[in-house]
Amino acid sequence: MSERASFARRIDVLAEIFAFTTAAFARQGVPDALRADVDFVLEELFTNIVKYSRGEAPVTIEIAAIADGVEVTLTEPEADRFDVTQAPPVDISLPAVQRQPGGLGLHLIARLVDSVQYGYSEGERCSRVVFRKTNAARPEAAGRDEDERC
Amino acid sequence: MLTMQGGGETPVVLAGRLDATQAVAAQAYLDRFQGVVTLDCGDLQYLSSAGLGVFLKTHKRLLGSGGRLRLTAVNRHLQDIFSYSGFDQILEIEPGR
Repeated sequence: MSERASFARRIDVLAEIFAFTTAAFARQGVPDALRADVDFVLEELFTNIVKYSRGEAPVTIEIAAIADGVEVTLTEPEADRFDVTQAPPVDISLPAVQRQPGGLGLHLIARLVDSVQYGYSEGERCSRVVFRKTNAARPEAAGRDEDERC
Repeated sequence: MLTMQGGGETPVVLAGRLDATQAVAAQAYLDRFQGVVTLDCGDLQYLSSAGLGVFLKTHKRLLGSGGRLRLTAVNRHLQDIFSYSGFDQILEIEPGR
């Protein structure tokens, strides 16, 4: 079982996204303890699209229960290629005075979920990010798929 | 939804979700305080990187005048965010139950 919904590219739509994850988790029996990390990843990916992407078509989110967790797919049409798994490294050891707000989002995504995959379809100009979050211990996993279809 | 109460002589009590839609309001609220500012995070259910930015900006401002930001009653989700971002090395953080 999976369910999907589409969202306009506006920051104030975040509340609708969180309502969707809440309802989908409940309907599919996904442990609620996983929801904060899933919401975090979705917020980072979605706000990046709102801030930086030139497309206007709605973004689609699909949620599917898997064993002991959830798989989430975020699809962005009218996209330029931007591999979220290839973010530049962030030095998290800097003292406060040298730290700058921003830049941490993509760094944190890879650490909060079990796996992240990025795919891009040149022909359809479509990006797709698939990530999994389970109750299992977190492996250091991030990868990319080529020749995706949306 | 995020609510903020207190501050000054008492901790600032944050409740709800500090996401990108709430960051501007949270920053404006915290900008009112000086010295050692304690945030009671016992009812703060969710924090995004936008919220991290609010905490960092506030902490740096307070450091400049001899103060600092300290967080209490931090839940597991927030602890993970602070740990993976290195904020647990620059902020005084007291875990919750």
